[in-house]
Amino acid sequence: MNNKNKIKITILSLSMIAITMGCTKLNQSLNSTLTRDQTITALGANGTQLLLQTAYDDLQQAYSDPGNVFSLEEVAADECIVPTRLGDWDDNGKWRALKFHTWTADGVDVIRNQFNTLNKLNFDATNVLSFAPTKQQAAEAKFLRAIALYQLLDLYGKFPIRNPGDNLLNAPPVLAGSDAIDLIIADLNAALPDLPAVPASKAQAGQDAAKFLLMRCYLNKGAFKNPTSPTFDDADMQQVITLGTALMGAGYSYTANFFDNFSPNNSDASESIFALPNTAGKIGNPQSNIQNRWWAPLHYNQYTPLNPQAGWNGFSTVAEFYNSFSLSGTTTQTPADTLLDKRIGGRYYAGATNQSGVRPGLMIGQQYNESGAKISDRKGNFLIFDPNIDQSLKETGSTLEDKGIRIVKYVPDYSQGTITYSAPGNWLIMFRYPDVVLMVAEAKMRAATPDDAGALTLVNNLRTARGAAPLASMPLVNTTNVYDPTTLLAERGRELYWECVRRTDLIRFGVYLISWAYKPTDDAHYILFPLPSDAVAANPNLKQNTGY
Amino acid sequence: MTINRLLTRLATVAICVLITQFAFSQTKTITGKVTDEKGVAVQGASVSAKGSKAGTSTDVSGAFKLSVAADVNTLVISSVGYTSQDVDISGKTDVAVTLATGNASLNEIVVTGYSTARKKDLTGAVASVKAKDFNAGVISSPDQLLSGKVAGMEIINNSGQPGAATTIKIRGNSSIRAGNNPLYVVDGVPLDGRTAKPPLDLGANGLPFGPTPESNPLLYINPADIAQIDVLKDASSAAIYGSRGANGVILITTKKASSGPFRLDVGASVGAFAGYMKRHKVLDANEFRNAAKDNNLSGLDSGGSVNALDEITQHTLSQNYSVAISQGNETGKFRVSLLGSSNQGALKKTSLDKYIANISAQYYLLDKRVTLDFSLIAGHTNEHMTNVSNTAGAGGNLLAYALNWNPTVPIRNKSGLYNLNSYAIPNPVSVNDAYNDVAKVNVFLGNISATVRLFKGLDYKFLYAINNGSGTREMSMDGWISGVQPISGQGLAVLGDATLTSQTFTHTLNYKTNLTSNIILDAVAGYEYWKTDFRSSSIYATGFNTNLDQSSRTSILYTSMFQNAKTQYPLTTTVDPTVEIQSYFARVNLNFFDKYYLTGTFRADGSNKFGSDNKYGYFPSVGARWVISNEDFLKNSTVFSSLALRGSWGITGNQEFPAGAALDQYGTNGYLQFSQINVGNKTLKWEQTKSWNVGLDYSIMNNRIYGSIDFYDKNTSDLLIQTAPIQPAPAAVAFYNLPANLINRGIEFTIGASIIQGPKFTWDANFNIAYNKNKLTNFNQPPILTGQISGPSLSGATAEAIANDQPIDVYYLKPFMGFDKTTGAQIIGDNPQFSGDPNAHEIIGFSNTFRYGKFSLSFNMNGSFGFLIYNNTLNGVTPLYQLSKGENIATGQFGTGEQLATASIAASTRYLEKGDYFKMRNLTFNYSFGNTGKYLKNLNAYISATNLFVITKYTGGDPEVNVDKTNNGYPSLSIDYIPFPTPRLITVGVNFSL
Repeated sequence: MNNKNKIKITILSLSMIAITMGCTKLNQSLNSTLTRDQTITALGANGTQLLLQTAYDDLQQAYSDPGNVFSLEEVAADECIVPTRLGDWDDNGKWRALKFHTWTADGVDVIRNQFNTLNKLNFDATNVLSFAPTKQQAAEAKFLRAIALYQLLDLYGKFPIRNPGDNLLNAPPVLAGSDAIDLIIADLNAALPDLPAVPASKAQAGQDAAKFLLMRCYLNKGAFKNPTSPTFDDADMQQVITLGTALMGAGYSYTANFFDNFSPNNSDASESIFALPNTAGKIGNPQSNIQNRWWAPLHYNQYTPLNPQAGWNGFSTVAEFYNSFSLSGTTTQTPADTLLDKRIGGRYYAGATNQSGVRPGLMIGQQYNESGAKISDRKGNFLIFDPNIDQSLKETGSTLEDKGIRIVKYVPDYSQGTITYSAPGNWLIMFRYPDVVLMVAEAKMRAATPDDAGALTLVNNLRTARGAAPLASMPLVNTTNVYDPTTLLAERGRELYWECVRRTDLIRFGVYLISWAYKPTDDAHYILFPLPSDAVAANPNLKQNTGY
Repeated sequence: MTINRLLTRLATVAICVLITQFAFSQTKTITGKVTDEKGVAVQGASVSAKGSKAGTSTDVSGAFKLSVAADVNTLVISSVGYTSQDVDISGKTDVAVTLATGNASLNEIVVTGYSTARKKDLTGAVASVKAKDFNAGVISSPDQLLSGKVAGMEIINNSGQPGAATTIKIRGNSSIRAGNNPLYVVDGVPLDGRTAKPPLDLGANGLPFGPTPESNPLLYINPADIAQIDVLKDASSAAIYGSRGANGVILITTKKASSGPFRLDVGASVGAFAGYMKRHKVLDANEFRNAAKDNNLSGLDSGGSVNALDEITQHTLSQNYSVAISQGNETGKFRVSLLGSSNQGALKKTSLDKYIANISAQYYLLDKRVTLDFSLIAGHTNEHMTNVSNTAGAGGNLLAYALNWNPTVPIRNKSGLYNLNSYAIPNPVSVNDAYNDVAKVNVFLGNISATVRLFKGLDYKFLYAINNGSGTREMSMDGWISGVQPISGQGLAVLGDATLTSQTFTHTLNYKTNLTSNIILDAVAGYEYWKTDFRSSSIYATGFNTNLDQSSRTSILYTSMFQNAKTQYPLTTTVDPTVEIQSYFARVNLNFFDKYYLTGTFRADGSNKFGSDNKYGYFPSVGARWVISNEDFLKNSTVFSSLALRGSWGITGNQEFPAGAALDQYGTNGYLQFSQINVGNKTLKWEQTKSWNVGLDYSIMNNRIYGSIDFYDKNTSDLLIQTAPIQPAPAAVAFYNLPANLINRGIEFTIGASIIQGPKFTWDANFNIAYNKNKLTNFNQPPILTGQISGPSLSGATAEAIANDQPIDVYYLKPFMGFDKTTGAQIIGDNPQFSGDPNAHEIIGFSNTFRYGKFSLSFNMNGSFGFLIYNNTLNGVTPLYQLSKGENIATGQFGTGEQLATASIAASTRYLEKGDYFKMRNLTFNYSFGNTGKYLKNLNAYISATNLFVITKYTGGDPEVNVDKTNNGYPSLSIDYIPFPTPRLITVGVNFSL
């Protein structure tokens, strides 16, 4: 090869490189999303509000659908049961595992999913704090984060926490026990003065909502410190009483009809302290799925226009819970209004019963449609909800569709006509006034100097408002029978059933591990749910709970 | 960079070259003409003098003129698509050379990426398939041309929707995420794997439908335009494509204009549906009646007799017409081809109409020192789909309705109206009738290149290509159907659009010279810039006033009166981050004495997808070849015609993760909401596959028997994993490079033989078998669950896992332990176990061609062995239990020990079945009339059958099945969930030239 050629090749190659070098710096341009810096500059103060809204929306994810936190707080407790009906409701065995307390790490998808859902709220709320929020925005964000942290602590016994602006690739520290609950309380106390005293709606965090959550924190503090045998500090009980007394003077009152709290028009219900909003007719409530609150329990044939897809025929309750209302006999389709305790339901509810025949509350026995005709199941039997569920939770036989007392607490919204349930207007009640009353009563009984009489008065006032006879005496709990109707635990059950507090209550009352309907006595490690194993693998500070 | 600057520099270089003088020693001049077997001039054929540096290439008329040293006696003539030939020139000054197309000989030219090589010079594993060996029959996209033809390449049709994407795996899975398809390069232009068909995921809007199948990115390449397809399998071959080479590279070379007089090629064919090859069998009306009676189920017999699948099957003819004209002379040549085809799917209202024009031309400037090439593909597709999606729950899939429809319930009642539903199952014919989904896509794929011969041996080439596609989608479902929540009673309409634009700039230098008389250097170096943008938007609406009652319907679709909707949801726009890749690459081939070959390849890829700490990746490879048969001790062997040993090592990458993954991203889902949706990772980089390959190429008995054997080992590290970020974190995914290794090891063996070579009768056969096994190691975390099982009551169930020391997507299921002898209930263990491999271990291709005079018969079979299929169709749609709900069930569900009274649904190993199959993919009978009359040339008529039969013990549908059951971004494998059934097609066609 001659030298000229070599020189030419060299020149050419170099010129090639000269032509082409520096064509691009290879910077990534995002085209329909923003970088963090762009978010701060482009959205300004309004952007912080949008990020805050995201945190509010996260609550819907966790709480509206009964398949989420509800499944962990209610199905794993004593008042909710999801029997497998041959080919229906097997769902990889998760409902049986939750009921029998036989779950394993990663074996039940809800346990894993809710850890992530709640931590998304944890993150999204924290993230607001790194976007120069106003004082009120920061307070709302801290309140929302406190809900996530409280729930994580309750379910998993610990939570990871980041500082605003932390590098998300780094493993965050994890808090458990009293460190954890102290942090939540400190956060709430710091946020409280900056929250609005009178929020724009029940959907906005206000001082009352923060006080309510503080009450829960103080009341459950002993259980968070030592879940298997909680003890209660008098100072904490006094805090519950003080905060509760303030709330009891804040203008909340019992509704005339218990189910008005859960109706399609419940946005301003007088018992509602904090709620998650929905708009009737707006299928754009997509994260809510509150319609599943009635879709899951109702039988397939319980709304003529949608039959046989009017319900999923799943979530039920047990006879023991039904009996804890101390009725002599069962309710009928036309219960006398003298029947005690309206909370058990079974009464005509305008807008629902005239549409589908559904009478909100605990549904037992023969079911009727909107014109009063008996409903049949898909096999042609009359649809008679039967309290007797097989001990194996595996229903077979010709009446398997009819097994289980159903609960419809949220009144179905039929305002979308014959089309669909998918755009209901019911708001999900997160915090409700009677819980304040019951927490105060409990704190009075758990105080160093118990005020059992004061507690009984509060409870009997509530019972009277619900049409139930006053109790003569009321112990906190019967440690061998969670359904003992005379106890405060049972009263909480009758008032707050299917409101995502039952598992927490059973733990606090020390009876979560004892035997109850369909669940034998079980090992102490089931008091906490297992952490998702990928979360444990990703964060060395996050140790799997004992026993898993 | 601007075009002006480029031209200035080119001109400078060109002037330098023009003033250069060469010194010659004593020479002689040889002229000649190169034609193909039909006498058509072969332009661009390489002519080199054996044992010297001299070489040239033929002009448009196939002519060449070459000065060679006086002692040169042999010329080597080669060209893409032809067998290379040695020509004796001793004592001659003019030669006529006829190049043979064809034989699977080692002399054929293969495309290696940015240049070409003779197969016998290769150090890497490259498979090359020529047009004449392509599969025949109904071909809606080019990858179907290759089924069973390439050892170690598995092509799985994901859907029977004409034109749907396929899963292609070359040498197993080398990634634990989706994105395992190879890189496609068409005439030097790398394609984006996406298409401009607007995606439609109704499931994301809370509807019971999943995403519809994606389109095949090769849809816009006219199969009749393809000259050859080369598959780069090992690192030595694929490293030239660097960060995109790890899953192999498929290079498609289209037909180019040939010189000579005006020529017209015409092809026409008509295809007919001839039944389903294999379907998921359900009870017929009588069996259903008897089953109901035997089980004391009353009220299930409506007296009719219906085969619901047949009711939604159509028997419309597919048609395919192609025309190509070409002409050329001294200054240039062109080729224009047109394709018009209408492929009918087996299901009613499914079809794919394609119109593709391809214009390519080549012109010579400046004394032929400059060659200008351009081509433009303009295509339009019109795709009709029905609601068959991969991921729908049984409540949203037409085929599930058809499987579950009570076969005793007539489709229509006496007044001619539909029986709208039966036991909560919507009437499948009514749903098909009410559902309209049309995607129209226009594509322009243009490229222009200029090749400058700077001086003998050194060519500079500039290529610019642009691929622009834009598509619209109109989907609607009438409200008069019953039982489809929440559409019944209100109707649904969706409008969508998408555009995809990608551009390529490539500069290459090719240099070929004889360093000494026995050492040949062949080098290529270059720079490439590739950029792609994708955007899509969609809007949907519900609540229309029309078509809410089946007895008073209008033909006006909701999509034509969108504003009538009660509720319109906000338009959603997604613009993907721009992807840019900037690359420098070089490859050097050295040939010593035609015995020893060395190849070194290097590519540096910079990508803006990578994290800012890792913008550039470097991909080296080396390969060597030892032609044993050219050694003295084997030179006179009567057994081996040729024998060569190859070895290679190299690194390739996989960067198939979403652009923007390295950055924190904030996005919005609506006016009042903004949130972080991605967790950035500055250190994110490509997935790296180190691989070695050892191969032996052999041909014996005078090339009558030939083939190769390859051993390989691929080790993928820095596995890209998409996972929930460390909590607390946004509901986003985050991408990490996981410190784990994915190992693929395998053997590939091919053998071809001219078994009979008579004057009238010939028989050629090819067989290939590949064995691959993969395993994930050093994966120090708990199994990641994937492979969602769908169906009522199966939520939360998964079938597969990504787990340490297991094959990818290993089955991970609760064990099934038979039925309880008294109750008949199934007994299932509590905890999942590793339960088998969904990856095929052996894949086989077998093709034969028989010729007798003007008749020829060829058939092509392929099969996969050693894997399990999860029959989710049986588990989730047609298990025994469904009978109790009045729904139809699969055959064979009685007498298993299971009883209807206790039958239930639960995912377990019960639904794992051996998937082994051997399929008659294609059988073609051809009659070659030859030249007929004065004008008609090369007249051929053929009849061809596709998907004739499959031999398998699998009880479901087609065992070649891979329905996408991705879970949290982790892919699944070999899950059967109500796939589009595989149709058998008969095609009759002719082709001829004028």
